[in-house]
Amino acid sequence: MAFLEFSHVHKEFGGAVAVQEFNLEVEHGEFISLLGPSGCGKTTMLRIVAGFEKPSAGKIIVQGHDLANTPPNRRRMGMVFQSYALFPHMTAAGNVGYGLRVAGKPKAEVEKRVKEMLELVQLSQFGSRYPYQLSGGQQQRVALARALAIQPQLLLLDEPLSALDAKVRAEVREEIRRIQTQLAITTIFVTHDQEEAMSVSDRVVVMSRGQIEQVGKPFDIYNYPRTAFVASFVGTLNQLHCVVADPQAGKVTYHDQVMVTPGPIDQPAGSPVVLMLRPEELRLGAGGENQIASQVQSVSFQGSVVRVRLKPTASTNGHTALTLDLFNERSLKLPEVGQTQTISFPAQACWVMPANAE
Amino acid sequence: MAQLTQAPPAPTASGAALGARRAAAGQFSWNWLGVVPFFLFIIAFLILPSSRLITDSFQDPTGAFTLANFAALFRDPLIIKAYRNSLEIGVATSLIGGVFGFLVAYAITLGGAPGWVRSGLMTFSGIAANFGGVPLAFAFIATVGRTGFLTALLRGAGFDIYQNGFSLYSFFGLLLAYNYFQFPLMVLTISPALEGLRAEWQEASQNLGASSFQYWRDIAFPILLPSILGTMLLLFGSAFGAFATAQALTGGTLILASLLIGTEIRGDTLGNANLGYALAVGMVVIMAVTIGLYALLQRRASRWLR
Amino acid sequence: MNSRRGSWWGLLWALLGALYFFVPMYGTLDFSLRMIKGQITLEAYRVVLADPAFLQAVVFSVEMAVITILVSILLFVPTAYWIHLRLPRLRPVVELITLLPFIVPTIVLVFGLIRTFGRPPFSLTNTGATTNILLVAGYIILSMPYMYRAVDVGLRSIDIHSLTEASLSLGSSWLDVIARVIVPNLRVAILAGSLITFATVMGELVLADFLVRPALGPYMVEVGKDTVYQPAALGIMSFAITWAAMGLIAIFARGDTARRLTVR
Repeated sequence: MAFLEFSHVHKEFGGAVAVQEFNLEVEHGEFISLLGPSGCGKTTMLRIVAGFEKPSAGKIIVQGHDLANTPPNRRRMGMVFQSYALFPHMTAAGNVGYGLRVAGKPKAEVEKRVKEMLELVQLSQFGSRYPYQLSGGQQQRVALARALAIQPQLLLLDEPLSALDAKVRAEVREEIRRIQTQLAITTIFVTHDQEEAMSVSDRVVVMSRGQIEQVGKPFDIYNYPRTAFVASFVGTLNQLHCVVADPQAGKVTYHDQVMVTPGPIDQPAGSPVVLMLRPEELRLGAGGENQIASQVQSVSFQGSVVRVRLKPTASTNGHTALTLDLFNERSLKLPEVGQTQTISFPAQACWVMPANAE
Repeated sequence: MAQLTQAPPAPTASGAALGARRAAAGQFSWNWLGVVPFFLFIIAFLILPSSRLITDSFQDPTGAFTLANFAALFRDPLIIKAYRNSLEIGVATSLIGGVFGFLVAYAITLGGAPGWVRSGLMTFSGIAANFGGVPLAFAFIATVGRTGFLTALLRGAGFDIYQNGFSLYSFFGLLLAYNYFQFPLMVLTISPALEGLRAEWQEASQNLGASSFQYWRDIAFPILLPSILGTMLLLFGSAFGAFATAQALTGGTLILASLLIGTEIRGDTLGNANLGYALAVGMVVIMAVTIGLYALLQRRASRWLR
Repeated sequence: MNSRRGSWWGLLWALLGALYFFVPMYGTLDFSLRMIKGQITLEAYRVVLADPAFLQAVVFSVEMAVITILVSILLFVPTAYWIHLRLPRLRPVVELITLLPFIVPTIVLVFGLIRTFGRPPFSLTNTGATTNILLVAGYIILSMPYMYRAVDVGLRSIDIHSLTEASLSLGSSWLDVIARVIVPNLRVAILAGSLITFATVMGELVLADFLVRPALGPYMVEVGKDTVYQPAALGIMSFAITWAAMGLIAIFARGDTARRLTVR
């Protein structure tokens, strides 16, 4: 039996559906991300698990226990809020120990545990500081220590990194993952940042408009998206509008040019489809199974990646552009704007989805 | 302000930087001119009179230095009684007005009262907090005085409050009248503080296993306490130093420090003018301590909630 | 949660609060309308308004109030602006000064004023006109916490430095900065401070009484000594003035600002 199970969970707010038909099984010790744009229902789901919202229908079952009648303060879940929600009138140590004090644990035990937790988040020297004396990243770690101190059965994180600046964000997220692995605690992480979700999760749940679009490992979500939404939300996506030529062989035509895709395609010949590709799978220069002549529109040097935008010469509208990512090399000669270049890619790199699919 | 008549400085040099550079260079900064009128006014009409009172309180009628006036403060039964009553009414109204005000504030912020009730009560609090003095006394006389509206109403229903020991023209009556502007002040100060209690704090506390009672005991009240205590100090201060309403309602039957000073100004009832000054200085000292504590609490509250 | 229990508990205290506000007001209003036995009549108001002493007292108080407001504005606005812009280190000192009127009760203040200025070399209490100087000075001090605070709040809510620098970088002169950028943003604060000052001066008793000036406060005390219904009418009129002042502030300032401008 799964550690945590969502069964047909449905949530409405006065007629507006926030979450529908949410089914998911989470194993013990898994790090799951709920990923999606704002309004997709991910935070609502988290709050339902925590007990701050009641589902309109469906069940949440943790370790075989239906949570329907358990109030939030009896669920033993540690939540880290987006704004940290540290109690301003308590020191860091006071905050971390609060859950234990409220449970009536003896003073010595509370102190010992607080010390352990502060060490875990590497803030041992900061126990006597007040929240207003701590930086954003430090407050975040205190919030984490506080949630973990009560030895919760689940760790819930509500966009914990969004208030931090970019550099700190990466550090803190690594630390969260390290601690989570060390303690083997089942975790649900809510975020709208797909890079964040993919870099730390065991599995990612992509949500849109209250529904699950796809659940899978980061690699699978990224390389084998099941819907157009997932394909475009996660990572950068190249899209070429093609027409099915030979469904069995997986051949499509792009402006009279034949493109080979991994077949078979389950659309009849003549139907419009979208050919999808990731930027890093494209190569500059001839020599692949598929080739497209194009013109360089812009070159953006981003450090380790050089991002080139190209317009296919065959393209009739002015909008189609392909994004191609190159890894930086010191000996690299950057392409120039206006140059003609051939883009090539193997059949395995692309996939096809019906046009107008949602 | 000499600064205004100069040519506008280059866009890159803001006025503050300019002034600071000048000050750093040891040159005379015209900045100070702008605030001289204010300081002159304050010195003339506030500092000077107050310091005269202070120096005179340390003198005897011949002008020699003495502490006898202050000693008398602690020995003269009339003065002791006056201070006692004033302190009592200050403490009583700050407690009653404070608690009542807190409950009303809770009712209109977190307690689930509908929106129109909230804005109505907030508006009235704003008006009532500024309503005092003689009109307040008149209002209460007209309501619960011997022939007041409510008194008559209750008498008609068979219950005569004056027969049963109530009197508006007493300590208790004054308390009732003072609360009219005390509890609204608490409502006005505490409502924003109550709203400032972030919902996440309660959620976080629940998440950590706390019950509603524990949340209030460990988190909400401690956070609110500086504001509550601070406002209560203000309530105490305003009741302690009040004159007009007390005069209008008790007219001398109740001995208060402020009223005593009043009679002293009009005629030398204490027999020694300098004693009157000591009395006044005593009041100022009490108020200074009160406001000092208030300022300290304000600072603590704002530091946490940055 | 316990929202259902919270609901009627909340309503109870809201109701009690409302009662405490309204019963005295209603009682006073009712009382003021019963000057002629057995009728609801505006006779009490008529008598008050017809009393020449009343009119004189009102005119006097209004005059004093207006002078107080004008001098306060001229005194406090430039000072507050200057402190914010050029002398931030003085800010705590000035904030302390604005707390002084709370520390020195009015009765003590008037005591000090009479003691200091009522004797040679000043002898300001010898004539009505010179005593008025003391009166206005006292009023300015009484209203300082409100007026100065209102201006201070107003200045703080606009980022003076950035606005000043932005204005200068767009080519304006210092006069433009003050006239076009700073003062317009302070209009509401100044108005709020003025309205509270007005209400305060109109209802003030201690200064007027002990300096023996014919203001509205002492007039009300006189009326209260011998009559029964006129005081109630005066009470209602006073309340109306305070209400009007607060109402005007609420109209011109937006919700939260209005509260911040009117609470000590």
